[in-house]
Amino acid sequence: MNRTKLKVSAAAVLAVTAGLAFAQKVESPVPIGVAVAQTSNTALLGQEQVIGARFAEKFLNARGGINGTPFKLVFQDAAGDENSAINAFQNLITKERVVGIVGPTLSQQAFAADPIADRAKVPVLGPSNTAKGVPQIGNYIARVSAPVAVVAPNAIRTALRLDPKIKKVAVLYAQNDAFSTSETGTFQETVKAQGLTLSTVQKFQTTDTDFTTQVTAVLNADVDLAIVSGLAADGGNLVKQLRQLGYKGLIIGGNGLNTSNMFPVCQKLCDGVIIAQAYSPSQPSAANQVFVKEYRAQYKKDPPQFAAQAYAGVQVFVEALRAVDRKKKIATWDLDDLRVELNKQILVGKYNTPLGLIAFDKEGEVVQKDFYVAQIKMKDAKTGSFVFLK
Amino acid sequence: MSDFLQSYGFLIVTLIQAGLLGLSLYFPLMAGQLSLASPGFYALGGYVAAIMLTNPAFAGLRDTLGNGIFPLTWLAAGLLCALAGVIVGVPALRLRGIYLALATIAFVEILRVVSLNLSITGGAIGIFGIPQAFGFQDRWQYLLIFGPLLALVLAFTYMLQKSRVGRAFRAIREDELAADAMGVPPTQYKVLAFVIGAVIAGIVGSMSAPFLNTWNAKQGTFDASIAILAFVLIGGSRSMWGPVVGGALLTAVPELLRFLQDWRLVINGLVLVIASLYLPQGIVGALAKLRKSPPPARPPIAPAPDAKGGTL
Repeated sequence: MNRTKLKVSAAAVLAVTAGLAFAQKVESPVPIGVAVAQTSNTALLGQEQVIGARFAEKFLNARGGINGTPFKLVFQDAAGDENSAINAFQNLITKERVVGIVGPTLSQQAFAADPIADRAKVPVLGPSNTAKGVPQIGNYIARVSAPVAVVAPNAIRTALRLDPKIKKVAVLYAQNDAFSTSETGTFQETVKAQGLTLSTVQKFQTTDTDFTTQVTAVLNADVDLAIVSGLAADGGNLVKQLRQLGYKGLIIGGNGLNTSNMFPVCQKLCDGVIIAQAYSPSQPSAANQVFVKEYRAQYKKDPPQFAAQAYAGVQVFVEALRAVDRKKKIATWDLDDLRVELNKQILVGKYNTPLGLIAFDKEGEVVQKDFYVAQIKMKDAKTGSFVFLK
Repeated sequence: MSDFLQSYGFLIVTLIQAGLLGLSLYFPLMAGQLSLASPGFYALGGYVAAIMLTNPAFAGLRDTLGNGIFPLTWLAAGLLCALAGVIVGVPALRLRGIYLALATIAFVEILRVVSLNLSITGGAIGIFGIPQAFGFQDRWQYLLIFGPLLALVLAFTYMLQKSRVGRAFRAIREDELAADAMGVPPTQYKVLAFVIGAVIAGIVGSMSAPFLNTWNAKQGTFDASIAILAFVLIGGSRSMWGPVVGGALLTAVPELLRFLQDWRLVINGLVLVIASLYLPQGIVGALAKLRKSPPPARPPIAPAPDAKGGTL
């Protein structure tokens, strides 16, 4: 009992000293945190985000940074789990003293780590959190990634344009993946809203390799359109087995299949899969064309959506900091005050990013003008590309 | 100091949390049962707390109890896990060794798939926006509930080991048939050990749900089972300090080595390999061996009877 009492009083003393901590100035170069998945199985997405953020750092600093003051990105690995994301956020907020954070990669991690930043009054921009409820976590939380409910329906509308005779639809989804289960809800609602018949709904796991049961059910339902929400490996295998067993109709893939990592899995059979996009390399804005050119020069391929979104996240921070700097020099701000002011500025600004023109509503939800739909075109068994449909 | 707590508060609490989960596995091991069910009960406890703290069905209860709801979630999680422990334990503990381990993994998987499919558990996204225990603002404040829980569990373990029940556990571990022959009912004690572990894991889960802000099916997975087993094996499975040391070490290493970036996971792997190769008794086991006084030296050879002075 004594022990607990001792702990309580020690904690009380600490709480008092914490209140007396000195006001901190903003460091130069201005630190902006990036907490995405650099390890774990989420790293496939996270690595593309790291590349996108690094591009933004190099490019925007070359253009004068924040009105002459350079900024630097501080990376902390948020891995794929909640604990790592919280640790990464804590590190960035208290040790690295960043003005704001771009991250984390997964929505589930956002629900764990974002409240920490919100309580510390540090602005956060989610680069790839698409689940419902993320911007509503708090005043300091916003995202540049459009939610599933906005992006996904575009794929169905395009499929109907390609084949107006579509009547019956099968929906398949990975039930152990948060993104896929939330995406399939949107797909199913859109199918009904478009007056189509939802003939069958099939579940699978991201770890499955054999999809005979699901494919047989789809074939028996005699559908004209199959919609798959899963990740690259399982989604690719499912597409392959659908085609191998004789499915002839159109296939729509969810955002988890929105990566060239799927090509080695379904190879030639990937051909024709339709995927809705929040980003297109052919977006005509100057900001995007410079980004695409530099990315192609370095990686010999088009930039993926995750890289473009991370780039946009960093860009929004930098442009908002420029606006704050014009009112009062960044170096003279107290860090805590700057974070508060920066958050306000982010929400009122308009940004011409590679994603096109974006802005935020008062909750921090992204308002994006353009969405895209692409179709996979395979050259041979290994190489293919996303062809954007008008 | 406050900066230190701000930066490392979360980590310190996760060290204690890992130690507690290690201890929850230590009880069945005390009775010789290799169970991997802890993450299942941990997840169950977390869901109980998350649902009680966010579901509109409990709104009235939350309003009347105020902060009292938090201890109530611990109690509810503990009771529910005890019940689940008995239901799972009685049939599962008829199995031994690797078969028991497999059955407990199946239990964890069943719970995971069920929670992915129920709407009350939020499906794959899980439950979010969980209110903070007692209005805690900083992560380190959770030391105030996790710290006393660890102290309490350690004290309980210490007393249990000295008691008749503890001796019965050990007797079953060393030789179940002999223990049975001596009048120690094995099933009863094995289920008891299993249920104690389940209750601890459940309470830790119910405290962790507000601590993590969110709760989802990723909390109770096969990976977590293996991680917790590693806590116990690396720390030492024959002393109650083993799981605590192992849990704290294996949780701290990857975080403290953040400056090494990708290499930190390599170092973590090396720690696991070296510890399991060279410290079969775990870290605490190896330390205990060092402290033990060396076996008494052979007494000096008695001087040979003097041959010279003999008279012939």
